[in-house]
Amino acid sequence: MTDVLSARWKISDQAIANTVGDEMVVLHLANGTYYGLDAVGAILWESLTQDELPSHACEMILARFEVERATVENDLRHFLGELADNGLVVPG
Amino acid sequence: MSQPFVYSLIDYGAMIDCEPRMGVYAEALRRAVTPGCTVIDLGAGFGVFSLLACKYGAGQVIAIEPDPNIELLRPLAQANGCADRITILRDISARYTPERKADVIVSDCRGTMPLFDHHIATIKDARERLLAPGGTLLPLRDTIKVALANSPRAYRQWDKPWKRNDYGLDLTAAHAHAINSEGKAHLGAGVLASAPQDLAVIDYRTVTEPNLDSTVELVASKDAKVHGLLVWFDAEIAEGLGYSNAPGQPPLVYGQMFLPFANPPRLKAGDRVTARIRGNLVHNRYIWSWEGSIIDRFTGATRGHFRQSSFLGPAIASDALKARSNLLVPHRTPMMQIDSDCLAMVNGNVDQDGIAKALLDLYPEHFATYRAALDHVVSLMLRYSGD
Repeated sequence: MTDVLSARWKISDQAIANTVGDEMVVLHLANGTYYGLDAVGAILWESLTQDELPSHACEMILARFEVERATVENDLRHFLGELADNGLVVPG
Repeated sequence: MSQPFVYSLIDYGAMIDCEPRMGVYAEALRRAVTPGCTVIDLGAGFGVFSLLACKYGAGQVIAIEPDPNIELLRPLAQANGCADRITILRDISARYTPERKADVIVSDCRGTMPLFDHHIATIKDARERLLAPGGTLLPLRDTIKVALANSPRAYRQWDKPWKRNDYGLDLTAAHAHAINSEGKAHLGAGVLASAPQDLAVIDYRTVTEPNLDSTVELVASKDAKVHGLLVWFDAEIAEGLGYSNAPGQPPLVYGQMFLPFANPPRLKAGDRVTARIRGNLVHNRYIWSWEGSIIDRFTGATRGHFRQSSFLGPAIASDALKARSNLLVPHRTPMMQIDSDCLAMVNGNVDQDGIAKALLDLYPEHFATYRAALDHVVSLMLRYSGD
């Protein structure tokens, strides 16, 4: 099975993001729910909007924050799962 | 359901003065009202439709409106000799259960667009719970239309102040927000740069969906720079009775909705714009999104894209936006504690004077005077007064 970090994802056409400082608030247009993304989540989101793989976001996060690779990868996998469960991203 | 948008009395005056709107509604009511029938005036304002319904022979009229302006209906009903036939309900209709269902429900809960506030949910609820079988809904249907617009004058407010103001100020950072804001316009037929297309038909006898998601293809009718999408609606209040706020028609109070392009394309006649337009009711306001492509008439090649949304406009401040996030962990503030204590004293025995004095004792650092404490209590109680 392909690791979700190496899979292609795209932003759902129901999702629209507004940047608030380092963070982001994403609105799901159809269900009217706002989702908060912290700085790390915002990096992932930006990567996906530029058609980059999640693994690209992982490298950006490692370059910016002092954190273990395994931790970042696990967090991103979990976060991607949440985004997909909430209909904010779909397989590309 | 939250409280709906409230108009001022001056706004209501403008609505009465708005022809053909008022004349069409009056004629539709005259045709629909039968002697002795029951009419519900939904979102009644100060009740002008209620007065007309009585004039045309209604036996009972229920005027439903949360706005305090509805109180004006009492003396107006007296003055028009129909006070005994009008019941005033200062509330939202969702909380009203009728003794007898209405033969006619009349309303105009639109804003610039029929998709406004909780209009659709209100009509759906009224239709299902308050209208007698076979009863009449006024209005009948609205058709939302869209066309390409060439209007440097209308576009100016989205562009020049932010990019080329006369005062040497760099306001460009605000442009990204301004350009994502929909606006109200009153434009003439000369601005149209394409034939209009139907975006949606809202039949009030059946509508359930408050959101709009529609894609149209607009073909440029002339060589022109296109500044945005112009959206309006044709109203059919009853069969054969309607009006339109289309460009070229007499301007109506609703105006038209203008969705500006961040980068207005210069089109040749025959070039096409595919536009997906969405209106999503999020909490109490519609988020309007417009996205699509510009396609060359000869080659069929895509010349550009646009993707804009009022979610990115200036109306939502950063702190307000973050406050809506599901990640936000609310912390108890001193004001929350004050309100909590205040509400705990509401038991049907203590008057507002007593609650204000207690708050003054408990929170002297917050309330400098008895009056300040009383004002706080009153405003808090008013918040729940409609419950």
